[in-house]
Amino acid sequence: MYRIRFHGRGGQGMKTASRILGAAFFLEGFEVQDAPRYGAERRGAPIFAFVRADRSPILERGVIPNPDLVMVADDTLVGMPQAGVLQGLNAHAVLAIHSTTPAGEWRQRLNTDARIVILPPLFDLLDAAQRVRVSAVIAGAAACLTGRVGRDTLSQAVRTELADLTNTVIKDNINKALQAYDEMNEFKGIAEPQPRTDTPLPTGWITLGLDPATLAAPAIHAAANSVQVRTGLWRTLRPVFDYSHCNRCNWVCGSFCPDGVVSADENGWPRIDYDHCKGCMVCVAQCPKHAIQGMPEGWAAQQTMPTPPSPDRKEAAP
Amino acid sequence: MSPKSQFSGMKDLPKTHLLAPGSAMCAGCGGLEAVREIYDVLGGKTVFVNAAGCMTLMSVYPYTPFRGSWLYTAMASAPAGAQGIRDALDILKSHDRIGEDEDLDVVVLTGDGSAYGMGLSSTSGAIDRDLDFLYVIYDNEGYGNTGQQTSAATPHGARTATATSGIGVAGRKKDLFSILAAHEPAYVATVIGAEPLDLARKVERAKTMSGPRFLIALSPCPTGWGFDPQLSVEIGKLAVKSGAWPLKEYVDGRLVHNRVPKPLVPVEEYLKRQGRFRHLFEPRKDEFTLMDIQAQIDAYWAGVMDHDGA
Repeated sequence: MYRIRFHGRGGQGMKTASRILGAAFFLEGFEVQDAPRYGAERRGAPIFAFVRADRSPILERGVIPNPDLVMVADDTLVGMPQAGVLQGLNAHAVLAIHSTTPAGEWRQRLNTDARIVILPPLFDLLDAAQRVRVSAVIAGAAACLTGRVGRDTLSQAVRTELADLTNTVIKDNINKALQAYDEMNEFKGIAEPQPRTDTPLPTGWITLGLDPATLAAPAIHAAANSVQVRTGLWRTLRPVFDYSHCNRCNWVCGSFCPDGVVSADENGWPRIDYDHCKGCMVCVAQCPKHAIQGMPEGWAAQQTMPTPPSPDRKEAAP
Repeated sequence: MSPKSQFSGMKDLPKTHLLAPGSAMCAGCGGLEAVREIYDVLGGKTVFVNAAGCMTLMSVYPYTPFRGSWLYTAMASAPAGAQGIRDALDILKSHDRIGEDEDLDVVVLTGDGSAYGMGLSSTSGAIDRDLDFLYVIYDNEGYGNTGQQTSAATPHGARTATATSGIGVAGRKKDLFSILAAHEPAYVATVIGAEPLDLARKVERAKTMSGPRFLIALSPCPTGWGFDPQLSVEIGKLAVKSGAWPLKEYVDGRLVHNRVPKPLVPVEEYLKRQGRFRHLFEPRKDEFTLMDIQAQIDAYWAGVMDHDGA
């Protein structure tokens, strides 16, 4: 049975990618499961979807702990433990990363036995209009890596799954999927299925014991404890202040930030709580002085963030 | 006429935020923006009653962004939940088990699916009983939490997960403001997170009143409406400037428009930035539907001029 996991961020279309690959396997005569992991994750948050495919009915359920193939649409997720990209990878598995960083460098960084394949981005990842095609690209690459899906089947699967969209968009997605498929040609069939391990559960009643209410639903009395949830992990772009242009109208960025993560320090300089900023870029769009810029998160994470000028400079400011 | 607001300008808006970050709302959520702004003014002495919807994910066990309690109800019954809490608080007060300073403002928080549709009956009943509560509606014009299916608040011509072809939704957005005002409650207002000053003044006013009070917040939704999250505020401002979302109040039995946009920005400017209306512009422009939408807005504001004599 093939077990394939797709990792991306909410909005990048990993559910669609899993559906395209699932449909393609189905058209090739396989039994298929495809599903996203449903949860409270939203646009930008790390999410995953998965596909199982086999020649006979699939009895296995739930998330895939031991994948044959892991597709990663956003390479900033690889090093993030919460995203669980590396979970269950061994020498059998193939890790395909949509990235500009070469495979050798990933191998050094990750200390994993998995075979690493790099899918170079086929378009500008920062261009929002282009991002919609990521799902087709990832599905196309995965289709080739399994070696069980033909190019025509792939096109048909994209057409089926994107049927709601206009013909131009569908054609565009088919082209991108095929381009990714061809890009992976030297690795065709590298991802191989593992034998099935699922056996049918014995039929009959299973009694699940009940926990006492104090265990099952303990009262939480802490206020505002959602600060422990680090939504900063959702960010693909980071808003960065250029304090030399900031005129300290902190009520603009501070009021419009949906999450309330922009606050003013004692001198009126706005500061961003990067642990929680989701990277929506509303502050960037609303700043009247254009003193905030959106920087790719992967790059920004390695920089020292600018700090507000010292109080001396504050006095010099108008 | 109305008492002077502590918010005379944007500079007076709260600088620290009461609603904790870390909630699971989408990046750029216009609903979260409005609710956070409302909570900043309303304060922590509140108890929230939340019907099923996007904001259910505000408080995912064991985490909460609120300073006080939160109760989760079924989609149609949040005002009934509010009644129970209000009664319990009143009983505790009458038995001197809590002091006046320990009393809480009961706040219902639901989306448009509940407010415009499933929960309308229980809301109507709560007003009949003159329930002392504040009802905050984040209206993102569809069942956003489940993938933006059509709701009674979806505007004419928008495509949704359940209206995927033709012009999209053929019906018109329900006029909830008028339905609520017809009950003659204490207060009804429309707000939007992109106009935080107008919003803060309305919350401030609602806070001083008792009885049924309503804030309907149009909530630009990057995920459901199809736009880049950074445009959330820009689209919100365009909703007001184009006249598609009138900022108004029903107070002291009178209808007041807080801002009459003059001249109206063509509604196309508001629509064309949203994926849910893209079919009205591509592959060819649907002049008829666009004129129809514009005509509805023009007719509304012509009525306002007649009424207010502005």
